[in-house]
This record gives sequence, structure tokens and C-alpha cells, in this order.
Amino acid sequence: MPRFPLRALFWRGALFAVLWWILAGGRADSWGVGLVSVALALAASLALLPPRGNLPSWRGLAEYLAFFLAQSVRGGVQVAGMALRPRLDLHPGVLEIMLRLPDGAGRVVLANTLNLLPGTLSVGLEGARLRLHVLDTRRPVAEEVRVAERHVARMFGLRLAA
Amino acid sequence: MSGLDWLSAIFLLVGAAFFLAGTVGLLRFPDVYTRLHALAKADNLGLGCIVIGLLFQADSLAAALKLVLVWLLALAASATVSFLVAHRAWRRGIAPWRADEPGIRRHDES
Repeated sequence: MPRFPLRALFWRGALFAVLWWILAGGRADSWGVGLVSVALALAASLALLPPRGNLPSWRGLAEYLAFFLAQSVRGGVQVAGMALRPRLDLHPGVLEIMLRLPDGAGRVVLANTLNLLPGTLSVGLEGARLRLHVLDTRRPVAEEVRVAERHVARMFGLRLAA
Repeated sequence: MSGLDWLSAIFLLVGAAFFLAGTVGLLRFPDVYTRLHALAKADNLGLGCIVIGLLFQADSLAAALKLVLVWLLALAASATVSFLVAHRAWRRGIAPWRADEPGIRRHDES
């Protein structure tokens, strides 16, 4: 860590303060406990997830959220349709894929994101190797995983391996 | 009922429909992995619709944001729990159900 991460400190503190304001329902008389809670949350976050210098990009975050929302709707509609078909038409299978994201939080976020996207469920993550359960092997799942991977990389400002 | 109340009611009903579909999937799908698909995806969309429906009735900005926060926390918990259940099932050697050979099997990989 070359310098004290003031920017990360500021943004995390702001985030926790907003969270407290939401939890307290906007009441002004709760800030005594609130400030202590925000300070403790800040200390815990610095200990558990030390800042690495680069902040998530706002634009990447917005694009990721838009992608995530659209895909969640698709995923929910797809699986609801499959469940309600008079005759089940499932073609599940297992797919292993080598991630191009660097080691760290990005891979975990991707594995978790895929659990909520259409037709993918993370079963194992060892190093860069992600094992997925796929609901319908006839669909181009690997390409969709790559798209999700690019979104996660852009949000965290990470470089994908070639 | 005002227009907002109607919008709220429509989103609540759509949300309930997705919860129902997720539960039908949980009961009908053949193995633990396919059932996790049904739960994680249909229920999260259902909860999202219910949160949107309730947003139309929220009486303050803080209350509205709290609803959104509930949804985000439920999403994070659901995604993580799905992974943990699926990972454990795989480690215990439960092979995924396959269309060409139905029935419970075990796999030998770790």
C-alpha cells in the first residue's frame, strides 16, 4: 500500500453513513449510535477487504447493474416458464470454464452473479477454474459467461487475461 | 383505488406469480442443482417485483431505500447460499440429473 487510502476511506464511510440513515428510517436523533456503528463498520471493512488503490468505476457499476437487472428478468422468466410447462423439458449439464479475471473478489462476484443469471449455477471455484451447472446445454452459455465476466471486470477496473 | 395503487397491486401479483412458479419448480425439478436454479432465479425476480410494488406505497425516501436494501441483501444471500448448497452437493458426489439417463447417480470426481 503506497499511500494512506483516503479516497477509499471517504467513499466507504459515506456508504456506511447512507446505510445507517436508511436503517434508522431518516431519524435525526439516532446519529449518536449511528456514528459509532459507521466507525466500527469502516474498521471491519478495512480489516476484511483492504483497499487496493483502484475504486470501482461508477460507469462500470451502472452498466453492470443494468446488465444484471435485464438478465435477472430473463433468468426468472425462463426458469418460471420451464417449471410451469406441462411436460418438463430440461437438458442440464456441467460446464467448466477458465476465468480470465485475476484472482480476488472479482471472481467471487462473478460466481455469485452467475447464480442469478439465466440458466447458470456455480458449483465450484478453484483458482481460475469455474465449474457451472447449466440448466439447458443447448444454449450458448459460455458466451454469456464471457459477457458477464467483462461486465464484472469493467466494474472493478480489472484487466482480463488474454 | 388510485393509479399508483393499481400499479402497486399489479407488481405485487406478478411477484407472487414468480414465487409460485419458483415453488412449482422446486417441487417438479429432478435434482438439487435444477431446484436451486428454480429457487434462486424465480424467487429473486418475484421479490424484486414485490419490492417495486411496495415502493409505490412507501411514505418516505428512507423507507423506499430500505425496501431496495432488503432486496439487495436477499439477492446476495440467495446467490451465496445457492453456491454453498451446490458446492456441498458436488463435493458429496451427487451427480447432476441428465435427460438421457434419468435417476440418481454418483460421480467419481472430487
